[in-house]
Amino acid sequence: MNAILVVAMALTAISSIGVVISREALYSALSLVVTLGMLAVVFLLLNAQFLFAVQIIIYAGAVMVLFVFIIALLNPEAEDRPVADWHMTIALGGVVVTTILVFVAARNGVTYSDRGFRGQLIGSANNPYHAFSFPVGPVNASGNVQTVAGQLFTTFLLPFEITSLLLLVAAIGAVYLTRRAAH
Amino acid sequence: MVSTQLFPYLLALAGFLFTVGAAGVLIRRNPLVVFMCIELMLNAGNLALVAYGRFLNSEEGQVFAFMVIVVAAAEVVVGLALITQIFRIGRALDIDDLSEMSE
Repeated sequence: MNAILVVAMALTAISSIGVVISREALYSALSLVVTLGMLAVVFLLLNAQFLFAVQIIIYAGAVMVLFVFIIALLNPEAEDRPVADWHMTIALGGVVVTTILVFVAARNGVTYSDRGFRGQLIGSANNPYHAFSFPVGPVNASGNVQTVAGQLFTTFLLPFEITSLLLLVAAIGAVYLTRRAAH
Repeated sequence: MVSTQLFPYLLALAGFLFTVGAAGVLIRRNPLVVFMCIELMLNAGNLALVAYGRFLNSEEGQVFAFMVIVVAAAEVVVGLALITQIFRIGRALDIDDLSEMSE
């Protein structure tokens, strides 16, 4: 399990770099498919089976097909970018610094209290998160889909309805934007 | 069973994905690639939500990740419609050239 997770995480990171540095938009799209698929594997290993299916169907299915379709339709010429100028240096530095900072903060269990941010070891020094090391636990006891749906249709019913409204607005907006103007 | 030792690495991967996406938005000029980088950033948020939900033994992270996926799909639909329209009126697909659209 852990080995599969590490491999999926590594492939996610590598293919996400491919999205940014590919010269052709189609190669970026294919790299993004790999990133999203590997993220789906990570979700599966984190006991989010419903999100795994949704990620495959919506992202790798619907969204990426839309992207590839638009790329094929518009056929944008290959870019001569990116070049290794100072933008690239700043971007690379930002990626490295942020990753290290997030890792250090997460590893040391940085918490916020009335005294501000401070490092706090939650558990033992070797594994600060051992207090969280539950088995599958009561959350997914009755099945992941049932658990998520139970929350979605009770506690989070209002956000769920607002999301459906957003989908309706997006559909109407897309139809309005792409209609052929009357001459 | 996934070891809790991997939790900081999952958060670091989320931070890495977000920063790579942000860097892509800044250094790429093709609006299609910029949209893909925005997808990367949204997925980084999803990963953090699911990882926290897993290790806090709560399902609410997954509920919100689901909503983020829906919002991302809606955003892609509208964005690609805009790009198609920009292409139809004969403009080059270049973020820098399109920056005077606000005027």
